Amino acid sequence: MSVPQYRKAAALALVAGLGLSLTACSTKSSDDNGGTDAAGKVTITVDCQPVGAQKELLANWNADVAEFQKQNPDITIKSVSVGEQCNNPPDFTARLAGGTMTDVFYGYMTDLQQVLDSGQAMDITQYATKDTVPTWDSVDPALKEVFTEEGKLYAVPVKNYSMGLVYNKALFKKAGLDAENPPKTWAEVREAAKKIAATGSGIAGYSEYSAGNTGGWHFTAMTYSQGGKILGEDGKKAAFNDAAGKQVLQNLKDMRYGDNSMGTRQLLQWGDLLTNAGAGKVGMFIGAPDATQAIVSQFQGKYEDWAMGPMPGQDGPAKGTLGGGEGYFFKKDLTPEQVKAGLKWIAYQKLTPGKGQLDYARAKPQNYPVGLPQPLLFTNGSDAQKQELELRKANANVDTANFKVFEDNPVPIVGEPRNAQAIYAVLDSAMSGVLTNPNANIDSLLKTAETKVNQLQAAGS
Amino acid sequence: MSRTLISQAQLRRGRGKYLYWTLLAVVVAGFTLVFLGPLYWMVTGALKSGQEIAQTPPTLWPQDPQTQNYVDAWNNLDLAKLMFNTFYYAAGAVFFQLVFDTAAAYALSKLRPAFGNVILGLMLATLMIPAMVLIVPQYVTAIDLPIIHVNLLDSPWAIWLPLIANAFNIFLLKRFFDSIPEDLIAAAQVDGASPLRTLWSIILPMSRPILGVVSIFAVTAVWKDFLWPKLVMPSPETRTLSVGIYAFSGGTPQNVVIAASVIAAVPTVIIFLLFQRNIMSGLTTGSLKG
Amino acid sequence: MAIMTAPAVTTKPTPAPTVSKRGRKLRDNLTGHAFLIGAVVCFALFMWYPMIRGVVMSFQRTRRGETTWVGWDNYTRIIADPSFWVAWKNTFIFTIMALVVGYVLPFFVAILLNEFRHAKGYLRILVYLPVMLPPASALFLFKYYAYDPSDAGLFNAILKFLHLPTSEWMQSPTMTIPAMVIASTWMNMGSAVLIYLASLQNIPGELYEAAELDGAGIWRRIWSVTIPQTRLILALLAMLQIVATMQLFIEPLILANGAGTQDSATSVAYLIYQHGFFQNDLNGAAALGVIMLIVLAAFSAVYVRLTTKQD
Repeated sequence: MSVPQYRKAAALALVAGLGLSLTACSTKSSDDNGGTDAAGKVTITVDCQPVGAQKELLANWNADVAEFQKQNPDITIKSVSVGEQCNNPPDFTARLAGGTMTDVFYGYMTDLQQVLDSGQAMDITQYATKDTVPTWDSVDPALKEVFTEEGKLYAVPVKNYSMGLVYNKALFKKAGLDAENPPKTWAEVREAAKKIAATGSGIAGYSEYSAGNTGGWHFTAMTYSQGGKILGEDGKKAAFNDAAGKQVLQNLKDMRYGDNSMGTRQLLQWGDLLTNAGAGKVGMFIGAPDATQAIVSQFQGKYEDWAMGPMPGQDGPAKGTLGGGEGYFFKKDLTPEQVKAGLKWIAYQKLTPGKGQLDYARAKPQNYPVGLPQPLLFTNGSDAQKQELELRKANANVDTANFKVFEDNPVPIVGEPRNAQAIYAVLDSAMSGVLTNPNANIDSLLKTAETKVNQLQAAGS
Repeated sequence: MSRTLISQAQLRRGRGKYLYWTLLAVVVAGFTLVFLGPLYWMVTGALKSGQEIAQTPPTLWPQDPQTQNYVDAWNNLDLAKLMFNTFYYAAGAVFFQLVFDTAAAYALSKLRPAFGNVILGLMLATLMIPAMVLIVPQYVTAIDLPIIHVNLLDSPWAIWLPLIANAFNIFLLKRFFDSIPEDLIAAAQVDGASPLRTLWSIILPMSRPILGVVSIFAVTAVWKDFLWPKLVMPSPETRTLSVGIYAFSGGTPQNVVIAASVIAAVPTVIIFLLFQRNIMSGLTTGSLKG
Repeated sequence: MAIMTAPAVTTKPTPAPTVSKRGRKLRDNLTGHAFLIGAVVCFALFMWYPMIRGVVMSFQRTRRGETTWVGWDNYTRIIADPSFWVAWKNTFIFTIMALVVGYVLPFFVAILLNEFRHAKGYLRILVYLPVMLPPASALFLFKYYAYDPSDAGLFNAILKFLHLPTSEWMQSPTMTIPAMVIASTWMNMGSAVLIYLASLQNIPGELYEAAELDGAGIWRRIWSVTIPQTRLILALLAMLQIVATMQLFIEPLILANGAGTQDSATSVAYLIYQHGFFQNDLNGAAALGVIMLIVLAAFSAVYVRLTTKQD
């Protein structure tokens, strides 16, 4: 080989090497045949498959996929796992921004705005009917409303919860409290917390979040219990800097520094509090019924220890409690066949009593609770609801009595504010202030948070 | 051993000798405590139960060792996968940095094409720009590469390609190549060797120490980076160790997180202990004389 | 900067041989650029283009797939955020403290290690060991064990044992930054120590000899021999250290679960992350990036001015 040729070859090799390396990634991009192959088979990708650590859930999911595909031979489901928490804000944002979500993708009720902002969502109003989702008419209209904007539906609700007071019966007994009769007002919570904290060192009578957006989430729930609001009617201005918001922080401050009944460890986020709860170091906290599931399946706790009462109010029953939930969105530009296939899958796995997540007979022997007052998907009195309730009762593997007080004292459910995750991040700071600083000034904490939220809402519109 | 700050003779004499040994003992004990102590705490802490961790005062040795924490960490976090990813990204980073940065430095140092200095200047200008400043536009670029419209998320190229754009390495390599006498290259050219052959058989063999340094830097960069892989590797399948452990920390008991941290550190510590002589001497002789 | 490599054989590079034929020259150029192309493409994609893109983005707003020009809106919004100034304050305090501790300490550790004739390898490995941990691991160690605010925490247990007042560490607004500095220094100082050690070994022994003959004590010798001899590496590391610490991110993220108590851990980098990836505001984050770039550029200009003056 003569010299110039050699050089040319070298140059080519370098260019080709880089070119190849760049095109190699493009092979990753999804096929452009609309997910339907020559034989008329429809393929859709779905996320939030349980991760490997959740062995039984994963096995259930895979069995559901196999069974569904057997019933619908023309549909192929490709499952994608996106982690233990299916919606982890930064990763979720990354997927939205990059358009790398699956065809049918999981999101919180609070995500609607963000999903719409990303321009990645599909209007599924015309497809979501009894034909694709047999139980559609039984699904609570309030839940559909959450995923609706300007008359257009963007997601199918698959889980719904409301918050109450989760408490450790064993610690209640140890502190000489009535474990069947949980506190119903914040004053009673305070008294109970004091007694529980006195039972041993390192035990928090009442525990609360103040980081990772969870502090703002609970601030919201407690503000609702006081009859307060996070945003004004138009959704543009903060509305929590009032008597209700102040009372929330004052209650916490009294317990934290007045009684020293909330433990030393603060700046907790989701897993931190549940780790402590699993280790038997937490007397009470507010949460949804499935918090008990997490304590047991992920944080080494025991079911029989945990029970639930209603959300406490200031001077009587709570004026409201926070409700939230999850749903599946559809990526824009799916073919009608893909949307229908996706709806059928969700209908099968999430919204059919006796199947998928509502297959209580299958879940009974597993390490996952049946009998929790959840997921509250169907309208009161609808056929689907009756069926679901019967199955749930028949197969309950947790003592439903533990949730009786919660169920018997329903509190009006209030949804999460628009742009919730960003607002929660701001409110974390108010929560951490009152929980870590004995001299925190509640008025200025709320004032700062109000300024920030107003800015956020002004920028977001 | 050459003369350092304090002369050998002084250290061997009465008071000097006494002082030397006292200081050495103090430093050895102190360093062991400061650097090894936390690691001991980590390894044994991961063996304690949740209750024992919350105990006051803390126990020096786990009363009831929970090896299950380590098993859980290995299984639940899929550490094997995370480790494989991390090493895969690191190996690729070394390879691509060596290939493209060496080629570029060689061109800038020896071939000196037109506008070479302008290009070098533009590259060096990026030295002072911290990664954080560009994170948003880089991210937006990675999810939709200009012109070819390819999405790099979850692809190892999202880690490798930005690492090639490393002005510091190119500068190091170029400085080193500059110091290789031109006569050697001229001689090779007279013998009819092409630039590629010259690079391969003359320059590179002389540059082993600097190539070692660049490789160490490449591995460290992948190992230490956090936010960029967190952003461009959103799927659990493609995460690196650091990102994976962080991602799982929210839904995993603290002891298991710590156990995972211990396991994650084991392979690198072993590699380091095996190659520490080469790594140290590489750093010493290769680049950083001053 | 100019000392970063080993002029193993120092001959001045002779200019490339001039070739008369234009064709030959063109081909040489092509070959040269062929060798450059890979790196240049990567620089273009991930450095040069993003710089321009970042500035452009900071004047735009993208909503529902539509991008519009919004002038200085992103900047005014970012600056009006109550966390903005707090983040800068925290970042500066952290940078300065990290410089005092994380920059000076490794230098003296290196001098010390360089004097020892025994246990050298052992000590070097010890110092470098934390660098081997994945950064998240090291920080979880501090978060869960060392900085536990109750008396069950390692640091508090030690302080209590010594009858010293305990601290709530990351929960105490005044301790947040020092605690981050300690963790950060512990996990990063190994590299700096090794680099200093390498440069210390190149100081000719005669210089110390001469200084000693002039009657210079130990401190005097450090001041007039060690520091001048390692000045360039010291200057370089100072610069790198400042640029690195200004990007403070993973420490607040892990140790303080983000912002810490009442924003006491919020850093500028964390704010960029918060805006870009939590608040769905990539444009605001880009504007913050541009502000950070300007601050660092101004800082570098001053720095270059100061260091070149000394020469």
